[in-house]
Amino acid sequence: MPDINALRLEAKRVLREGIVDVVVGFKPGDSPLHPQPAFFRNEDEVEELIHNGLCKNNLANYLTRLPKQEKVGMLVRGCENRSVNSLIVESQKERDDLYLIGVPCEGIIDWRQIVEQAGEHISLVEESETLVTVHTPAGVNSFNRFELLHESCQRCLYRNPISADIVIGDPVANGSLDPVAQKVKDFENQDIEARYAFFQKEAERCIRCYACREACPSCYCAECFVDHNAPRWTESGATPAGMQGWHIVRAFHQSGRCTSCGACERACPMDIKMTYLTEKLNHDMREKYNFECGMDAETKPPFQTVTLDDKNRFFLGGGN
Amino acid sequence: MKLILPKNDLPDQLRSWRKEFTVYLPQKLERFSHFMPLDDANARILEQPHNTRIPPKALFLPMTEALVKFTRFGTYEDANMEISPRIVFGMRPCDAQAVQLLDTVFEQEQYTDPFWVKRQEKTIKIGLGCHVPCANGFCTTVGYGPFNKDGLDVLLTDLGDSFLVEVLSESGKTLFENLHEASEELLNQAKEIQNKAHDAMPIAFETENLKEKIDQNFKSDYWDEVSRSCLGCGVCTFLCPTCFCFDIVDEVQRQERVRNWDTCMFRIYSLEASGHNPRPSRVERTRQRLSHKYAYWLDQIGLIGCTGCGRCVSYCPVGLDIRAMLRQAQSLPFEVSHAE
Amino acid sequence: MPNNNRSPYTPMPMRVLRAYYESTDRSLKTLELSFENFEDRKAFFAKFNPGQFCLLSVAGKGESALGVASAAWEGDFVRFTAQKMGTVTKALHELKSGDPIGMRGPLGNGFPLDDWKGKNLVIIGGGCAFSTLYALTKHVHHPDNREDYGKITLVYGTRTSGLCMYKHDIASWHEREDMEIHQAIDVPEENWLHHVGYVPDVVKEVAPSPENAVAVVCGPPIMTKFTLPALLELGFLPETIFTSLEKRMKCGLGKCGRCNLGHKYICKDGPVFSLAELNTLPPDL
Repeated sequence: MPDINALRLEAKRVLREGIVDVVVGFKPGDSPLHPQPAFFRNEDEVEELIHNGLCKNNLANYLTRLPKQEKVGMLVRGCENRSVNSLIVESQKERDDLYLIGVPCEGIIDWRQIVEQAGEHISLVEESETLVTVHTPAGVNSFNRFELLHESCQRCLYRNPISADIVIGDPVANGSLDPVAQKVKDFENQDIEARYAFFQKEAERCIRCYACREACPSCYCAECFVDHNAPRWTESGATPAGMQGWHIVRAFHQSGRCTSCGACERACPMDIKMTYLTEKLNHDMREKYNFECGMDAETKPPFQTVTLDDKNRFFLGGGN
Repeated sequence: MKLILPKNDLPDQLRSWRKEFTVYLPQKLERFSHFMPLDDANARILEQPHNTRIPPKALFLPMTEALVKFTRFGTYEDANMEISPRIVFGMRPCDAQAVQLLDTVFEQEQYTDPFWVKRQEKTIKIGLGCHVPCANGFCTTVGYGPFNKDGLDVLLTDLGDSFLVEVLSESGKTLFENLHEASEELLNQAKEIQNKAHDAMPIAFETENLKEKIDQNFKSDYWDEVSRSCLGCGVCTFLCPTCFCFDIVDEVQRQERVRNWDTCMFRIYSLEASGHNPRPSRVERTRQRLSHKYAYWLDQIGLIGCTGCGRCVSYCPVGLDIRAMLRQAQSLPFEVSHAE
Repeated sequence: MPNNNRSPYTPMPMRVLRAYYESTDRSLKTLELSFENFEDRKAFFAKFNPGQFCLLSVAGKGESALGVASAAWEGDFVRFTAQKMGTVTKALHELKSGDPIGMRGPLGNGFPLDDWKGKNLVIIGGGCAFSTLYALTKHVHHPDNREDYGKITLVYGTRTSGLCMYKHDIASWHEREDMEIHQAIDVPEENWLHHVGYVPDVVKEVAPSPENAVAVVCGPPIMTKFTLPALLELGFLPETIFTSLEKRMKCGLGKCGRCNLGHKYICKDGPVFSLAELNTLPPDL
């Protein structure tokens, strides 16, 4: 479990010494299930800093929302560290303007599962490596932590921050690639009707709130394609064409840019699964281009590099 | 008229309505509940406390709705407004109150929205009061309550193995024809449940002078402070039963001008063709949202434009809590106005 | 609006009577529209007064809110001048005489002409926002209306002389004895006989009297921002200064929520507001 005291000490230090202008972390929310992203600008404020399994946001998202010139300190778990790297590769932030406080991650708890199992009135949530203990008016229940984790976290391949300036906490064992690859293949092996039916079923719950887009660190376009009106690329409303267009195109825009963090699914108010799309693209990136997003702050994703010896067969009508 | 409906009779009662109406009620969709036409294959979700994620406002103001049909030759006609009769069963009083608030937007004397009016005319609303407080609701704080009757044709109170059925309108009467009148004892039991439920709702923030504090602090840093982690998505507004903003776009391939749910929290909401945006950041947009609900609605119809359903609190992706934001607003400076 | 059963979202069928460029750089185009239905025409002119706007509809593109630039007495048509800015106005610029077009209106409150009776009118316009002031002036000029109002002082500024709208009419206004017209351009041009300078400065120079007068200002936000204080300095009270506001609009009926300024909707409670009223509303523009 994260060493909160050590995290606070380090956050205070980097503020005090002027290494950063702001430390981005979490603070308690107004309900036990919902800690909030927080922006600490002085040592007193850091007293509120927390970090636990209910902290469900990818904080790298805020790098493109804070003033460009600020030096930013950030608590980063495995996926957040890789998202930060991805943003550095895309020139959204300079590494020199960042101080990353690494926190090895035991996975993010899906608060909606807690509500499903223990009811709406939760007064306290306590965690350990193996258990999540939930206090309700009706009593106290303990659950297996792994089973309560969000799906992305159950299969996470990179739970430890890989390029933080300091890591506070013991390393956590990573998930393995095989089950991840197998899950993609299992879906691919279904016949096309089944795959399309699944895609339709998930997409039809969409309400076009764009919580997925706003929660994603890679979605920082000043103008998203759905907001463009000359030409208009997709239908704007909650129509089948619109919802499906939105999901498919956003997934493709993540090719080589997605760190499998799952923030999109956690943000969605309609519990839509969308990581199956991005996981397929991540899988293709691994298999075809030997590329994993965010493993360092230099390597450009395959679809963001153009070289003179690219094989552009599709331009020349050669197929493939 | 106060009747008793045994819970065991509810499934048959719902089915009996199906001949003439489409019956919408909360049913299981994935792992939450959603107002859908009655389907025996779906689990009904009427337990307490629990509310659907999407409010039943979606049945009156659909997420997407054609307004006008047009042709390449430039002629226009009203889109189809025909609605078959419906019953919405299991509406929580917060959601029903919200639909009634929206009547003041869509049914104004000067311009009446025919689509909204048609849907209202063809819908009978049966509410289910909340005898147990929900997790994040604050209906009593904003002047309403868990057994509020506004906007409903019938209100049900859960008595354990039966419902008290309070018929509030003519259209409600026709639905419950074979039920017995409630006994004095059951009426008292219901009253007790209702009062207890009302008192059990926590007061989340003070509303006194809240409007003045909001109106008089337009330029305050407060708006920046409370919105700092806001992502600018549309979850709070789309799940809100009183939010009604919509966009109008032409869908060429379908030859239709449609309206879609829209939100003041999106950047392009107020973006003008010149490139100027009166609300360029989350700060101004959060200010608009809170001001609209807790100040401008009061100016317009004398009621707070929020019915305390708590959905925005439960589903905000970054855990922002409007109740805390308004508690904080109470410390803003203000002057009681001596004018008027 | 509709006194037939048409939904308020459905445009009336209209036809482009005339379409011609207003400015030499072709950024401004005037459309004069005729009604396809007699009923619609009757209903329109029964309700219309200057200062109101309409939503012009191009099927497949959308709608654009434009101020009405004609007075009722001018004929059985409605005039608009559109600046080419976005998708819809671009489509409007491509329309030719005989093309169909949709229209919803008249919308908004218009100028409070009844309250202005007996007063001197100080009309101040800038750029392409002049359209509704043009409608106002044309309305007042009609012999049936002229006696209802006092002196007219008109200031109209544009960046260049080429951008001046309604050139023919405005040229003739210099000959009228019942009004004082001050045209201005931002930078000097050869053969320009009138003021050179920004509208707020020209207003200060002209110094219209606030005595029994109302002032109405329509222009780009920057012009309005500096003209309103100039009028206050000249002694105009906030209750006697009026302006017409603009914000992004969609429904035009006070329902979609978007064009609000505080608790007022610019489409329904405006677009014309007095400065006194604006002072009670948040500066959310």
